[in-house]
Amino acid sequence: MGAPVHNLASRVKGSVTEVTADSKRHGRHLLSNTIFKYYFLFSILALCFVLGLVIIFIGKTALLLFGHISPADFFLSFNWTPEDEAFGAAAFIVNTLSLTAITLLIAVPISVGMAVLCAEIAPVWMKTFIRPVLDLLVGIPSIVYGYLGLTVLLPFLRQISGQSLGDGLLAAALVLALMVLPTICRISDDAIVSVPRKYRDAAYALGSTRLQVIVRVVLPAASRGIISAVILGMTRAVGETMAVVMVIGNTPQLAKTLFTPTSVLTSNIVMQISNVEFDSTWNYALHMMAFLLLIISFVLILIIRILGRKRRDAA
Amino acid sequence: MKVFKKFTATALTAIIVVTASFAGIAAAADSVKGKITVNGSTALLPLTLQAAKEFQKLHPKVKIAASGKGSVTGPQAVKKGIADIGACDWDASMDVPGFKAFDGQVANKVAVIPFATIVNKNVGVDSLTTEQLQGIFSGKTTNWKEVGGADADIVVITRAFGSGTRVNYQAKALAGGDITKKSKNYKETGSSGDMKTAVATTPNSIGYIDLVYVSGGDIKAVKFNGVAASTDNVINGSYKIWAYGYYMTKGQPTGVTKQFIEYVQSKKFQQGSLKKLKFIPIAAMK
Repeated sequence: MGAPVHNLASRVKGSVTEVTADSKRHGRHLLSNTIFKYYFLFSILALCFVLGLVIIFIGKTALLLFGHISPADFFLSFNWTPEDEAFGAAAFIVNTLSLTAITLLIAVPISVGMAVLCAEIAPVWMKTFIRPVLDLLVGIPSIVYGYLGLTVLLPFLRQISGQSLGDGLLAAALVLALMVLPTICRISDDAIVSVPRKYRDAAYALGSTRLQVIVRVVLPAASRGIISAVILGMTRAVGETMAVVMVIGNTPQLAKTLFTPTSVLTSNIVMQISNVEFDSTWNYALHMMAFLLLIISFVLILIIRILGRKRRDAA
Repeated sequence: MKVFKKFTATALTAIIVVTASFAGIAAAADSVKGKITVNGSTALLPLTLQAAKEFQKLHPKVKIAASGKGSVTGPQAVKKGIADIGACDWDASMDVPGFKAFDGQVANKVAVIPFATIVNKNVGVDSLTTEQLQGIFSGKTTNWKEVGGADADIVVITRAFGSGTRVNYQAKALAGGDITKKSKNYKETGSSGDMKTAVATTPNSIGYIDLVYVSGGDIKAVKFNGVAASTDNVINGSYKIWAYGYYMTKGQPTGVTKQFIEYVQSKKFQQGSLKKLKFIPIAAMK
C-alpha cells in the first residue's frame, strides 16, 4: 500500500534520480526472480538426476542377473534357495503385493474414518489433542514399531491364534497399518478440511443428514486428497523394511495363511545383502529384487492415480 | 617409451627408498604411522574398536578406521582393496559350506569365540546331543517330547545364510548338518540382538548365539552332549562349539597392519582387554 504513495511523491517531485531508483528496484526484483527461477529449476533437475542415477545403477547391476538365469526362472519360480543356485522370486513378489493389500485394507478405512472424525465431527478440544498425537506418531522410527511388534504384538497374536510362532503377513500388516495410519489420516484430514464450506451448506439446505453430507458430498469432494494420502501410505508400506523384518519370520516361502512365517522383497534384501559376495548371481538377484520394488511402487502409484482420475471424471 | 621407463625406474627407486626408510622408522617406536581400514564381522567389531583405541594411543600417528557388516564382507573388502584387514568368523582362506576360499589371503587368528545353543526359559530340556540338534534344525524333530521335553512344537530360530555365527554353529554343533528352510515353525533373524529377543519372547523356541550374549532370565544355554557352555569348558577342551576369529589380509600382513595385528595377538591385549570383552585368548587353546 505504501508503494503508490511513494510513487506519487516521486512523480510530484519529478526528480530523475528518484525514477532511476525505482527502475533499479524493479531490476533487482527481476534479477532475484530470475535467480530463484533458476535455483528451483536447478533443484528439480538435480533431484531428477539423482533419481535417474539410482534407477540406472540399480538397473544396471540388476540386469546382469539375466546373463546368468532366465527371466522366467526369476519371475515365475517359487524356489528361492540361493545357496543351491535357485533364484525364484515369485513368492516375494506375491507376498509383497498381498502384504500391501492387507495393510491398506486395515489402514485405509480406519484412517479415513479418523480423518472424518477429526475434520467434521470431533469437538475442538479433541481435534487439538488428536492432530499433534498423529504428527508425533509419524516421527517415530520404524525400528521402534518393529520392536514393539516383536515383543508385544507377536506374543498377543500367539495367544489368540494358538500358533507357536505368530510371525507372518498378519503381524506385519498390523505393524505397517499402525505406521501408515497417521500419514493417511493427517493428509485426508487436510483434504477434508479444505472442502469449501458452501458445499456442506448447500447439502444441508437440501435437507441432507450429516451422514449423507459426509458420504455423498464431503468425501467425494476430498477424494483426490484422500487418494494422495493412500498413495503416500502405500509407498511407505511397500518399501518399509526394518519394522517388517522383525515380525514377518524371514522364511523364503509363499504365505498360504496369515500366520505362515514368510518374506517380502524388502525384508529378504536386507537380510541377505550384507552376506553376499559382490560379483555373484545372488547379488545380482537381490539388486533385481530392489529394482522390481521400484517398479512395483511406481506401477501401483500409476494405477491409483488413474483410478482417481476416472472416479473424478465420473463424479 | 624412454621417458616412461625412466619414470618407472624413478618410481621404483622411490618406493624402495620409502620402504627402506619406513622399515628404519618402524624400528624407532613412536614414529609409526599409517592408515588401517578394518571391515567385516560384527562379532569381532568390539574387539577391533578396543584394540584400535589402545593402538592409536601408543602410536598417535596411526589412523584406524573400523566398521562391521557381516563376516563375508571382510575378506571381500580385502579382495577388492577396500580394506587392509577383513574381520571374519571363519578361516576365509579355506572353503566353508556356501563360501569358496578367498585365494591369496592369509588368516591371522586373533580371538576365540564360543557359541551356545539357547532355548526359551519355558523349555524343560537342559542338554541336547549332536544328533538331537541335527534332528531339530533339519526339521525332522518337530516336538519337544521327542528329545525329552514337554509336548509342544519346537520353534526353530536361526540366523540368515552367510552369518558367521551360523557357519560356525552348523560346522561345530550340527557337525555339518543341514538347517531347514521351509517350515511352519521356522524363522530367521538378522543379528545376534534379534536372535536373543526372538528366543526370549517366543515360547518353545531354540536358537544359537555367541556365548557373550547369553545373559538375563528369559533365555538359557543348554548343555552340548552333556557339557555346559562356559569359557572354562572351551579352554579345557570339553565344549566343542567355538571358533577362531580371524583378521584376513592380502598375503602376509606388512608394515603398520602387521604391527596392529601383532598388537591384537600380544599377551598384553589378549589377557587384558580381550578377556574383559569375554572373548577367549588364542593362547588358551591347544
